[in-house]
Amino acid sequence: MTTRVAQVFADVLGISPALITDETSPDNTPQWDSMAAMNLVVAIEDEFDIRLSTAEIISMRNIAIVKKVLRTKGVADD
Amino acid sequence: MSEPATTPMAVDPTSRSATIAAKKAWRDHLAQGEAKPAIRIGLAASFTAETLVPFFGAALLAEGTTAEFDVGPYNQLFQTCLDPQGTFHGPCDVIVLLWRLEDLMLNEINGFLAGDQGVLATATEKLAALAGAARQLRSGFSGMLVVGVPPYPTGIGGGLLSLHNAGALGAFHRALVGQFVDEIGRIDGVHLVDLDAMQRHIGLATSFDPRHWYLYRQPFSDGFLNTTGRQLARIVLASRRAAKKCVVLDADNTLWGGIVGEDGIDGIQIGDEFPGSAFRDFQKLLLGWRNQGVLLAVASKNNEADVWEVFDKHSGMVLRREHLSAWQINWLPKAENIPLIARALNIGTDSLVFIDDNPMEVAYMRDARPEVTTILVPSEPAEMVAAMQALTLFDQLEVTDEDRKRADMMRAERDRDVLSAQINHTDFLQALDLKVDLFRAKTEDLGRITQLINKTNQFNLTTIRRTLDEVRELANSDDWRLYGLRVTDKFGEYGLTGVIIAKISLDRRLWTIDSLLMSCRVLGRGVETALIGAMADDARAEGAVAFAASFIPTAKNALSASFLPDQGFSPVGGQDWHLDLAEAPGIPPHITRVGADAGPGRGFDAAAN
Repeated sequence: MTTRVAQVFADVLGISPALITDETSPDNTPQWDSMAAMNLVVAIEDEFDIRLSTAEIISMRNIAIVKKVLRTKGVADD
Repeated sequence: MSEPATTPMAVDPTSRSATIAAKKAWRDHLAQGEAKPAIRIGLAASFTAETLVPFFGAALLAEGTTAEFDVGPYNQLFQTCLDPQGTFHGPCDVIVLLWRLEDLMLNEINGFLAGDQGVLATATEKLAALAGAARQLRSGFSGMLVVGVPPYPTGIGGGLLSLHNAGALGAFHRALVGQFVDEIGRIDGVHLVDLDAMQRHIGLATSFDPRHWYLYRQPFSDGFLNTTGRQLARIVLASRRAAKKCVVLDADNTLWGGIVGEDGIDGIQIGDEFPGSAFRDFQKLLLGWRNQGVLLAVASKNNEADVWEVFDKHSGMVLRREHLSAWQINWLPKAENIPLIARALNIGTDSLVFIDDNPMEVAYMRDARPEVTTILVPSEPAEMVAAMQALTLFDQLEVTDEDRKRADMMRAERDRDVLSAQINHTDFLQALDLKVDLFRAKTEDLGRITQLINKTNQFNLTTIRRTLDEVRELANSDDWRLYGLRVTDKFGEYGLTGVIIAKISLDRRLWTIDSLLMSCRVLGRGVETALIGAMADDARAEGAVAFAASFIPTAKNALSASFLPDQGFSPVGGQDWHLDLAEAPGIPPHITRVGADAGPGRGFDAAAN
């Protein structure tokens, strides 16, 4: 799942997937602004065929938490 | 030849794949950091308009146009209208103003829902102020101006869905939208983008994403933004490129279901029952295009007799032979028929659109005639009409009278040509039964007259150009006569085909022809003489005894050089000519003067006067 998440974020934010780590967050990534946040939600939902609640969206403050949320929604860790 | 067989805009704009693809296309475009964009578009909205940019931009890119967007500060519509230069960071080619009722008059909406009818007056004032601001922007900005019609309110929270006021909100919205459209309609040169209609089209629930609203105060879903972006792109593009002029249609499985050569006239499907009903609706769409000025043509591999039998006799057909402007029904490759059709209609092959259901025909045409825009009919008949309606090829911002009558006027001209080939010229002129209406121009004629004054080059004695205001002044003056000329014959109308402007001398005895121009399509049939004859009748009735005129040669008006001497004028030196009205030609016997200004005693042979 890590590679797919990194690819989605890299695409939407316009940066290299190699730069995406578990710590990547709006605090350390200037491209991750509020407009990007909206686009990221849509992209993640499309990539993993899920729907995120507002609580889940608000909680996703960095990549590590994104992956945690995806696991709770049944996305496999391969 | 690896082009997709369907048009890009036909894909549902609200689908997730469409919105994601649009955003990606825009991101990729920005990443390339290309050179100068083709157009600069200023966006000002009462909500956050940044989210519209990727969809608007991607829709333009899909049609080959690069744009740069300048989004004005949040909710500063009025400031933008009063000072566009201060709002945007550079000159704009297009400015788009978008707003929602909830952003500008939330108090009035809530008051109305609480039962306070008095708030309507305040809401009306705010609307008038906004329209006034748009009018100000129109006069201070020379580019294209597009103003949004507000959608149905969604972001007002609490009580929205309660039964007793759902209808009230609708009434409020309808009243204000109606008023706004009226006010904007009074400003010349403002285009509307109807967010209300688009929201209805894709559905209110699909246009509003409550998560986006609560998390980001973003009132619209990606699907709605994509729909709006595409519509805006269509509006902008329609002003920058000419619509295609003719659609060339295959017959079998395009105009009707089945193959007439194999299934016979009784076996094809066209009429009230599906799939015939889908083809019938497509024919209605084609007729609608024809009414906008698009010419219809048929290119079919068939025996002509079989095809005409369907057009002439099948009760399910909407299109009839008289709606077609050209056809090639034979066994030649269709690509060979294209230049024949283009030449028959006197247009370039690059203004043709070719529509066929056969992927192989489509591929061959794209290869042999890449300048023709070729469209593949969807294999699902239920999707035909929507796919064709999504085509932007015939988009036009305005439909003129000339557009509406184009196909009919071309057919009349063709019928005239056929007759003229059959008999001698004198008999032909007699058979035409020409009627000319030389009329004093009224207010409703001035727009078209001004157009003709400013675009006629070949048959134009003095090539004096005037603005609408200048023309209006002449029309209202007692010392000037402003005439329009309309001609018809038994085959149909020629339309507004001439303008004459004359100045009357102080003693009222001399009329000086300031302007005289005619459309080429009406020349050579005696109308030139009828014109002078009719005007001489009017002038004599008012006590005039002579006409003065000038011919000012230009690079383009050699065609009109012999007009004055041909009509009996004598040269008086320099560019000036003179005609004693006692010697003016009469209206030729094969022409009748008609119309409100023909008057008693006129409209007959000059010898009877």
